[in-house]
Amino acid sequence: MTTHRLTRRKLLTTAAGAAVLGFPLPLRAQPKTFKVGAIHPVTGPLAEPGQACRLGAQMAAEAINAAGGIKSKGGIKLELLVGDTQTKPENGRVEAERVVQQGAQMLLGSFDSGSTNAMVSVAQQRRVPFLVDIAAADPITANVAKAVREGQQKVQYVYRNFPTGSSFGRKAVQYFTEIFREAGVSPKRVVPITRPASAQLLLPEIRKQKVEILGVVSPGSPGLYEAGQIAALKEDLEYVMASVPWPNFKNPKTKTLAEEYQKRSGGKTFDTNSGYSYDAMFVIADILERAARLDDPDTIVDAMRKTNYTAGLMQYGGPILFNEIGDNPNAIPTMIQILGQKPVAVWPKEAALQKFVFPRPKA
Amino acid sequence: MDPTLVLQGVLSGLLFGGVYSLMAVGLTLIFGVMRVVNFAHGDMMVWGMYLALLLSTRAGLDPYLAFVACAAALFALGLAVQRGLVDRIVDAPHEMQILLMLGVALVLENLALVAFGPEPARVRSALSTATVWLGPVFVDVARLVTFAVAVVLTLALYLFLFRTDVGRTVRAAADNTYGALVIGTDVRRVYAVAFGVGAACVGAAGALVSPILPFQPATGLSLSVASFNIVIIGGMGSLLGAFIGGLLVSVAESLGAVFLKPSLKELFSFSLLIVILLFRPAGLFGKRL
Amino acid sequence: MGPWLWLAALAVLLALPAVLSGYVVTIFILIFFYGFLGQAWNIVGGYTGQLSVGHAAFVGIGGYTAAMLSIEAGLTPWIGMFIGGALAAVLGAIIAYLGFRFGLRGFYFVLLTVAFAEVCRILASNIDAIGGALGLYITFTGNPRQFQFQDQRAYYYVALALMMAATGVVAVIERRRFGIYLTAIREDEAACEALGVNTFKYKMLAMLVSSFLTGIGGTFYAYYLFSLQPSTVFGIPLSVEIIIRPIVGGAGTLLGPILGSFILTPLGELSRSYFGQGGMYGVHLIAYGVLLIAVVLFLPHGAYPYLTRLFGGRPRA
Repeated sequence: MTTHRLTRRKLLTTAAGAAVLGFPLPLRAQPKTFKVGAIHPVTGPLAEPGQACRLGAQMAAEAINAAGGIKSKGGIKLELLVGDTQTKPENGRVEAERVVQQGAQMLLGSFDSGSTNAMVSVAQQRRVPFLVDIAAADPITANVAKAVREGQQKVQYVYRNFPTGSSFGRKAVQYFTEIFREAGVSPKRVVPITRPASAQLLLPEIRKQKVEILGVVSPGSPGLYEAGQIAALKEDLEYVMASVPWPNFKNPKTKTLAEEYQKRSGGKTFDTNSGYSYDAMFVIADILERAARLDDPDTIVDAMRKTNYTAGLMQYGGPILFNEIGDNPNAIPTMIQILGQKPVAVWPKEAALQKFVFPRPKA
Repeated sequence: MDPTLVLQGVLSGLLFGGVYSLMAVGLTLIFGVMRVVNFAHGDMMVWGMYLALLLSTRAGLDPYLAFVACAAALFALGLAVQRGLVDRIVDAPHEMQILLMLGVALVLENLALVAFGPEPARVRSALSTATVWLGPVFVDVARLVTFAVAVVLTLALYLFLFRTDVGRTVRAAADNTYGALVIGTDVRRVYAVAFGVGAACVGAAGALVSPILPFQPATGLSLSVASFNIVIIGGMGSLLGAFIGGLLVSVAESLGAVFLKPSLKELFSFSLLIVILLFRPAGLFGKRL
Repeated sequence: MGPWLWLAALAVLLALPAVLSGYVVTIFILIFFYGFLGQAWNIVGGYTGQLSVGHAAFVGIGGYTAAMLSIEAGLTPWIGMFIGGALAAVLGAIIAYLGFRFGLRGFYFVLLTVAFAEVCRILASNIDAIGGALGLYITFTGNPRQFQFQDQRAYYYVALALMMAATGVVAVIERRRFGIYLTAIREDEAACEALGVNTFKYKMLAMLVSSFLTGIGGTFYAYYLFSLQPSTVFGIPLSVEIIIRPIVGGAGTLLGPILGSFILTPLGELSRSYFGQGGMYGVHLIAYGVLLIAVVLFLPHGAYPYLTRLFGGRPRA
């Protein structure tokens, strides 16, 4: 015991010392970079989409820097400070505080609505403009807009370039109706599958039990179309349709980037998650180009409000701009279908790369 | 309610239950012998699944053959965890044992994340698309084979515990550690065997279920919780109880999905658990191993 | 340690926000908050030895109650938190009554608590009136009447006050006959009963106090993180977070939960900020898991009993 005691004590003091000294101290503002805190769930249950978001944001930052950074501000480069929420709301808050501490002047994140809303409070408390790249719950922006309207907050620092939960449902219904009309069928029942987990159980059952169905459609919850799901479900996913935010592959830039993304990610598809995080970084770069100055968050917010960005790689219903709630009404989903084991945009017509297959061929 | 649908629910649940049984048999063996609750049980199972995936993609081995290798690998893992960690805290307070196994679970889950990435995976088997119709209901061949192998493995374990000398010592040690010590049993060796065999069970279960159930590193927790449920319902430390409990819980969940919303199906098994705990805390077959 | 040392420690904690950065203040808030939840758990899990791994359910009930009362009825969470605590205590009473009346001990009690928390999670996910699986979102106003603060440091003091209050409650319990009975129940329940102690009554009381305090914590959770989702506030991972700190610090000791939180919370942050940057996602959680294992192997009774022994204090009761 005595021999062990010293080492243990030593171990403890070292640990305590690290706890006191070891926190990343604020790196005093180096004027050469503009720091953006990019926080996503890269471990835990949502690790897959979270990792895609992080990679998308990183690739965008590299592309922006390679093209000369923020030109109107002397070519200042973007620097990402990445954070992991582990899909726990408290870590959304902690990580936001950490990156702000390290000098982040804007926030980006964070996929799951709980962590995102925790980050909202940091943005509003510490006056850090926050662009939500992915998170669907309506109240994330609406609540802040309400607090500002009622005079409880002065400025809205939170904006979102992603379809809201309620717009998802509306658009999905619109697309279904249009597709049914175009196909000349009127299904008796529409049974939506909302969670990837249910899909993973249901789809093989549908095939095995030889259920006669016109088709399988998902109203657009995350996950179904992700590369891993296709790899797992294979032919069960063929002809499945989902109304999801989707890259605009008619744009040659999107195609080039998708190829690069595939290489960098070890064979994954450039999709909703990587795509919206990628676009968000470019929107941030556009805002910074137009902002009067970079050291005042309120001037960044002013530029944010005046955003009218048309070079997004995702499928939009118009330019990226922010309405009075702080949402982009032109962030819309696209109906995609798994055809030949690949997700392909099939609706609305102007976004379609192929004609949809509906009703699905009989097995 | 369509009676065919109910019948189908019962059958599917029953066949899937074989895996639940095997998983719970492993847990109950570990608990019965050591009185240690394996909070890393589900994560060990996930490793069984990933090993089956590796063997399938790298060596082209069908999971219905690869389960033997997975069981062997998990036996080694169980042995290592027991010898290296659990062995040192058999006499520690309960909360410390829980903490230790939670730590092991965290390590196992995230090792899988580092090694295999977060994507949901499923192992392909030649059998996984075959079905056979029995009158109005269909039988999934993959589930049928999974069920059959799981039953055979449980039987083999039973024979091992009741017909071999090592097995008999394991049972003796489970009944009375002190007595076993008195008659000169190497209790540490027995513990190691029990933990290894328990882990092997769950490793085999993982491999067998890998073509049916998609998985990712974070799947372990729900599997652990499901194992706990079954073991309590069947009777802690009872092999037969774990076996029957596995089938029961699986059928209950399957019917829960038929009668209630699918999102409420777990409510069934948890409510069943609470009722059992309250009225028959020893479980349905609550006698000792 | 003498009272002067305590006062000095308290003075340091009170003065700290003046010099600390926002990030470190956030970590202290989590240290205090989990110290508070751990202390609340300690009453029933540590002193009484009834291991509940379902304490998240009380956080959830407390948080949802205060948030719903504020959103629907405009009631300030300062009052709502006590109503939330009371409802959590009702659930605690139900679980404890069933568990203790039917004599569930050890691992059986663990599973009963897990099962109840899971039932709460599944039910909450299916009740649309409280937001269903998506959960409740709270508007950030920074208005102190709504338990919200524009300045991060205010949360620091609220969390510190919660932790001190819970520690005060535990200190009082520890010195009374009640506390002695609780420890006796943990050590040898049968002997207690033989001596005529109404163990059922004392275990019930321990659970009531513990679940009430934990329920109050739910309000802090809701108004610090601004949303409640069934999977996070009722989930097993939160229950695990609640128990690991007091166990690491030393379950059944007055300072164990606080010490455990001071050890684990910063180490979790450190490992995430150092290992979480590179491409190897998950390494920081492996490090955290190894740390938990190391604590069990090297400090099998927790950190606080070890420290007191190290400094020649009294051994563990």
